[in-house]
Amino acid sequence: MIWWKRRGGRLEKEIQTHIDFETQENIEAGMSTEAARQAAMRKFGNVPLAVDKSREVWGWLWPERLWQDVRYALRGLKKSPGFTVVALLSLMLGIGTSISLFSVVYGVLIAPYPYSRPNEIWAPAVLGANDSARFWHPYPLREFVEIQKLSSFAEVMATSPRPVLLTGGTNPESVNGVYLTGGAFNFIGVKPVIGRTIQPFDIHAGGEPDAVVVLTYSFWQRVFNSDVHALGKKIVVNDVPYTVIGVMPPRFGWWTNDSFWLPLPMHMADDTFVHVIMRLRPGITKQVAEQQLNELNIRLAAQYPREFPKGHLRTVLLNYMDITQASGQMSASLHLLLVAVGLLLLIACVNVANLQLARTTARAREIAMRLAIGAGRARLVRLLLTESVILSVLGGALGVMFAVASTRIVVALIPPDYVPNEARITINEYVLLFSLAVSMLTGILFGLAPALRSSRPDLVETLKDGGGGATGSARAQTLRNWLVIAEISLSVFLLAGASLAIRSFVQVLRTDPGFQPERVLRMDLTLPPKQYTSLEQRNMFDRNLLQSVMSLPGVESAALGNGGMPYSNWRSSYSFEGQPSSDDRKIIVSLISSQYPQTLGIPLKRGREFTEAELENGMHVALINESAARLWPSGEDPTGRHMQIDALIGPTPESVFKAAGITPDVTIVGVVGDIKNAGLGDATVPAIYLPYTMFGPPDRQLAVRTFGDPMTALNGVREKVRELDKDLALGRPVTLDEVLGDETQQPRFTMALLTGFAALGLSLAAIGIYSVISYNVSQRVHEIGVRMALGAKRGDILKLVLLMVAKVAALGLVIGLSGSIALERIVRFQVFAKASFDATSLAMVVIVLAGTAMLAAWLPASRAGNLDPVAALRHEA
Amino acid sequence: MTTREIDNELELLQGTLDLLILQTLAFGHAHGHAIARSIERRSEEVLQVGHGSLYPALQRLLKQGLIVAEDGISENNRKARFYRLTAKGRKKLFAETSKWQRFSDAVARILAPLAEESK
Repeated sequence: MIWWKRRGGRLEKEIQTHIDFETQENIEAGMSTEAARQAAMRKFGNVPLAVDKSREVWGWLWPERLWQDVRYALRGLKKSPGFTVVALLSLMLGIGTSISLFSVVYGVLIAPYPYSRPNEIWAPAVLGANDSARFWHPYPLREFVEIQKLSSFAEVMATSPRPVLLTGGTNPESVNGVYLTGGAFNFIGVKPVIGRTIQPFDIHAGGEPDAVVVLTYSFWQRVFNSDVHALGKKIVVNDVPYTVIGVMPPRFGWWTNDSFWLPLPMHMADDTFVHVIMRLRPGITKQVAEQQLNELNIRLAAQYPREFPKGHLRTVLLNYMDITQASGQMSASLHLLLVAVGLLLLIACVNVANLQLARTTARAREIAMRLAIGAGRARLVRLLLTESVILSVLGGALGVMFAVASTRIVVALIPPDYVPNEARITINEYVLLFSLAVSMLTGILFGLAPALRSSRPDLVETLKDGGGGATGSARAQTLRNWLVIAEISLSVFLLAGASLAIRSFVQVLRTDPGFQPERVLRMDLTLPPKQYTSLEQRNMFDRNLLQSVMSLPGVESAALGNGGMPYSNWRSSYSFEGQPSSDDRKIIVSLISSQYPQTLGIPLKRGREFTEAELENGMHVALINESAARLWPSGEDPTGRHMQIDALIGPTPESVFKAAGITPDVTIVGVVGDIKNAGLGDATVPAIYLPYTMFGPPDRQLAVRTFGDPMTALNGVREKVRELDKDLALGRPVTLDEVLGDETQQPRFTMALLTGFAALGLSLAAIGIYSVISYNVSQRVHEIGVRMALGAKRGDILKLVLLMVAKVAALGLVIGLSGSIALERIVRFQVFAKASFDATSLAMVVIVLAGTAMLAAWLPASRAGNLDPVAALRHEA
Repeated sequence: MTTREIDNELELLQGTLDLLILQTLAFGHAHGHAIARSIERRSEEVLQVGHGSLYPALQRLLKQGLIVAEDGISENNRKARFYRLTAKGRKKLFAETSKWQRFSDAVARILAPLAEESK
């Protein structure tokens, strides 16, 4: 760069010499020194222009010109700090929040999995004649083997998670072991950090697997302190030592985040149900594969009718991307938030556009002056464009910084159970590119339009006009007003959305769960099937445990159960009063001990509880909830009636024991109150409670109601469990308050973010209104002066300005509100199942917005009111 | 600038300035001011060289390698940049001059009767 600068210096010197020679000649011709110099200068013409043109010959001018433009633009921005700060702030908030929310959406919805080709993974769903819901259909192992043989699928793998007992450490632990078929890791296609993954050869021809295990990253960290020498070491799972063969990377979380994967024993006689996923063979369409699988399903259903829905079967392949944790509620609320952040970005852009427009109009005189003294139109447009691009690039840079901070906040707020294990939310290169595109586009769009317009003004008029005047920019004024109206209506959308989110959150908080969650501690217990090998043995353990826990000081009551604490996932078809059972109707089945209603605080509405004798002997008696009682016509008392619960005689895994001679027939002895057994947001499902001694699964939950802080009872309970069985693992203890708290996470997340966005949107809109109104006032100073001189009072001027705002705000409110009400019908079903607009929340939106608009207008209005009429009349804008 | 002046002083045609500079330098090396004066004088003050436009033209010729520049001392003992024709420049001047001659002869022949009438 130095050589062309030197060339520039030499040229200027040369031209100086030239002018000197000319001056000398003029003096010799008899002119005075001063006149001689001036004549010489005149004769030469524009020196810098000549220098520029000479240098242009060498083609090295553009970096210098660009640098000039940049310097000039920076100087211009520094000279109007108010404009710069507001524009940068708008861009920062708009761009920053869009980046961070887009990052979240990308991490959670678009690319949550590190698996190879995740969008080509399919999961089968089998539908009966009347089913509409599509659930991942579990197959028994022997059917999985049949699926593997189908020609439509290139790869098929199965997963079977089971609670396993981990011993050998300080305390025995119950963890979720994930059993996988031999080809599973190759199907998923993720490389281990160290060692190797489970391979087909780890499972022998007879189905017996080698005792090998692949660890999750966090298990490796926790148990082996990330030691590379963990390979070859052993961990004891269900009393069998397994050799560690590999460790997976941190983001890999197939069905578990913190335990390990084991090879699945391929024993066809087992009643093991597995979750199957598959990839299609190349060239095979989804329809062909579905048809082939459906034929197999029909064949299997003929053989094992209990494992399939009744009636005409249909088979559908679900894309794995559609059945993640983030599908349902989380996906809906993220999409909603994405819309919200889009609105925020729009508001920010409108703000910047508005400011640019106002600024270029104010600079019309300056621009006209530049054109008049010979600036090229192209050059001028380039100058203005440089200015807005610099502004937007700076705004984009600030936005990225803001995004880094706000992504942390969003990640902290995000409810962990609603996103896949594998999801990692970071600001990645796609998102950065997106932000760059957004910021550049904003700059160019809103820089170019005013730049083009203002570079073609009527020079004479603009210069004469003194650059201001109320008449000069009527069209620009209308445009600016519409921009403010747009801003206000966009803010109304945001506020209305936030008010819905708040309402639905409050509604969830206020929902009566039907039981009393205070002071109740709950923990999971798993009896190892290999040690507790009969129903009597398990029942004996349960009886002893209940007795010893109830003897603890501070314990009000205690109950054991499988399901009903408060949620259950065991559902069964049923029949009663001689009607046939149907797959369409399901009842929740829970196994309970005595004192269950007292421990959870569920009222008995009718009839009686189980007697000790009924519990002791596993008699076929039952309690039902009120929803189930309503299955009978109103006025009829269901107590003493009979029901048939199909699941009692259905197929069960080998680890579950049934009482000898069990029949599906139970007698109803009492009715208890409804509890929210399907989640706080959903309607209560009919439920039936049976004595725990009828049916013995290995898993149970212990609930303890205490007099004081429930956590203080924990050590006593631990002690009692250890006395009964020192190797028994106790799961993580939780209070029922915490369980209910988890339910509010999702609505809290949506509410917090929507409210945050609405607040940001509102403040941006306020800034927008403020800047437009102050600009208007400054343009109308002369007019206001005239009005005052003619006798207008301060109040009249205030009214004039505020009325101007009120008109614009009212129009914005009307548009925004009618739009929101129309949109509500769409949004409502997706996110806020129960909440809807009411007069109060709409009134709140109106008050908040109108208040903000008036507040934003007050400052410029009172400034106008306080104008000195004399000064105002002299004012030439 | 008055109308009369515009009538008498002919504006230079685009591209002809380069040729005039080369022609001026055919007599020996000269600095910028001297080139401008020389063009003016030899055209009997009819051809008005915008002094400002001289320098871009000089740079253009430098870039094309038709002239070279060197520092020297002027007639009134001042340091100045002097320009000189290169061999390539001399060849170019010769070619361009004959081309110009043919062109201007042709134009003159076409315009001649009109010129006669207006006398």
